[in-house]
Amino acid sequence: MTAMEEYNSGSESSFHSEEADGIVKECIEGVVGNDDYSQSLVNKWTAGIVERCLTQLVKQGKPYKYIVTCAVMQKTGAGLHTANSCYWDTTMDGSSTVRWENRTMYCVVSVFAVAIA
Amino acid sequence: MEGSDTYLIRPNHQFKFKPAIVKECIREIVRERLSGMRYDPEEVPELSRSLANCIKDKVKNAGSDRYKLVVQVVIGEQRGQGVKMSSRCLWDADTDNYAEDVFINDSLFCVAAVFGTYYY
Repeated sequence: MTAMEEYNSGSESSFHSEEADGIVKECIEGVVGNDDYSQSLVNKWTAGIVERCLTQLVKQGKPYKYIVTCAVMQKTGAGLHTANSCYWDTTMDGSSTVRWENRTMYCVVSVFAVAIA
Repeated sequence: MEGSDTYLIRPNHQFKFKPAIVKECIREIVRERLSGMRYDPEEVPELSRSLANCIKDKVKNAGSDRYKLVVQVVIGEQRGQGVKMSSRCLWDADTDNYAEDVFINDSLFCVAAVFGTYYY
């Protein structure tokens, strides 16, 4: 019997939220950058941000299912709060939320990674 | 999530994540807690956290325990600004699903989304 190879050894089986933070920030800057809030473009932006984040995360090749949400809000002095509650395996699953802003808008992106078995 | 029937790779029809039922759950809870509320920057953080926990508990009890849940609640003040929220998921479309609901009154708006992924 030859030695069995083990996939997913201990150190790899938890979600690295700092890496995800970096990826998400780059994606937001790539799509929105220094543009001003525009009602006609906002659809395109949110779709672009989530799609880009998802493709970058998937490129890492880890055995996770991903959920990426993005909220873009115009700066008018109004307040916004987000809260998450999750029922999952805390050793393997994780999430990361990135708050980004420019002169005319706020962008909040949340990434949830759920391990596959 | 221990020990139950680990040979099941697809949920039984009655244990599937049912978006319509979950949407009803969310709607009831949000309507009950937020009707007539005004946006108050001191209370809202606690309110959104407790809403998220409430919704998670209700959906957990209503559905099968093979589903991992992610509940996201966003509450914002209504000042005539534009907001757009979107999400994209990479999952198994046969087994995983989501449900969402939006509540608006004249001083605040609230979006609650529940994502359910099956644990093989």
